[in-house]
Amino acid sequence: MKIIKMMTLSLGVVLATQMTQAADSGFTLATVNPEADRTALQNYFKKRFPESEVQDYVNGIYAVDADSRAQWEEIEEFPPYEFAVEEGEELFNTPFANGKGYADCFENGGVGIRQNFPYWSKEEGTVKTLEMEINECREANGEQPLKWGKGEIAKVSAYMAWTSRDQVFDVKIPEGDTAAMAAYLDGKKFFYAKRGQLNLSCANCHVQGTNIRIRADLPSPQLGHVSHFPVFRSKWGDLGTLHRRYSGCHKDSRSKPLKPQTETFRNLEYFQTYMSNGLVVNGPGARK
Amino acid sequence: MKKALIIVAALTLAPTFAAAESFEKAYLKARAMYGQGAVFEWQGNQYVATHEEESEANVDATEANAQMMIDKAKAKNKEVAALGFEWKLTGDILKKAEAAKADGDYRKALDLAAQAKYHARIGIQQYHYAQSNWQLSVPE
Repeated sequence: MKIIKMMTLSLGVVLATQMTQAADSGFTLATVNPEADRTALQNYFKKRFPESEVQDYVNGIYAVDADSRAQWEEIEEFPPYEFAVEEGEELFNTPFANGKGYADCFENGGVGIRQNFPYWSKEEGTVKTLEMEINECREANGEQPLKWGKGEIAKVSAYMAWTSRDQVFDVKIPEGDTAAMAAYLDGKKFFYAKRGQLNLSCANCHVQGTNIRIRADLPSPQLGHVSHFPVFRSKWGDLGTLHRRYSGCHKDSRSKPLKPQTETFRNLEYFQTYMSNGLVVNGPGARK
Repeated sequence: MKKALIIVAALTLAPTFAAAESFEKAYLKARAMYGQGAVFEWQGNQYVATHEEESEANVDATEANAQMMIDKAKAKNKEVAALGFEWKLTGDILKKAEAAKADGDYRKALDLAAQAKYHARIGIQQYHYAQSNWQLSVPE
């Protein structure tokens, strides 16, 4: 009897320890702590790449790999996204058929506001992204929505990012708003969950796998991931949105990709952008 | 007291040792090393490393059987899609299975449908694993 009591007690202690560890680690709605997550992520990268400045992570892999950086700096001498920004400006300033324009839909006439996206809309109970609001603006003014991944939407978004360069990301999760926190947690869970035939999570490549070769590529760090979008990728030969890249990453793990701007991808963007709070907008960017 | 601690330690460590010798591990090892149909031994008995879908597809190559296997694969893929864990190639494999059936190549249709169903089944397993293990790679 004494032995049974002792065993029960000991096992109780073992299980309680495990449960306490799990409960304290920010994996549930009750315990998730975005600020602790952001700090932990920054500390992780500081430890992995002590030579790199946190603020430089807006430059992706070029913050941690000197050879890649040298090539990228040469590309940046004649930025491949420059024409797209000019076209984006023209599109942005071309009035809709009803005489109104994008500037009428956004705060500050749509200039210098990229850092405020995505945000949690309490009224709509969902995460709103910049591209989503660009299309909502069009539809509200009787125009057809644009396709999400590339083309005009990427150009307009690129121009808006361009006007916001050096503005600091400060994505907020409204205090006491459980639905907003659930959206953040959903994005976090998506980022860290393994999926697809290759059984890879976003984190496998962009946290643990940062700067470790996958064939000829060096995966970028998750810190600063969103800052330079839309992005001109050499592989694409044109400009694309963040959600286009999400679809590509998803395919790379041999998952069937979600559609751009689905709730899950918007939640992922919410989580990722929160992780980059404190860093500056430097979109549009150029990548391989 | 000493006896009790030894028992507790044994109980705590038992799952670790058991996991090292699990049937699943022995099966996967045989499958990876020797491929489909490999014979392996586990706890004194002999088993064959064949996926359940391969066994299902091991029937007469008739149109009806091919259609049945395609239907099963589609149903399973719908299940994994609803969980958000569908794999990229499964849809195309199903299309190829249907094309093979239309061409009268029922053996090929059966094998492709079995492959698609396997993808879907493992995707579902992956979903369940992710629910309880996604946090393992979160920096703390």
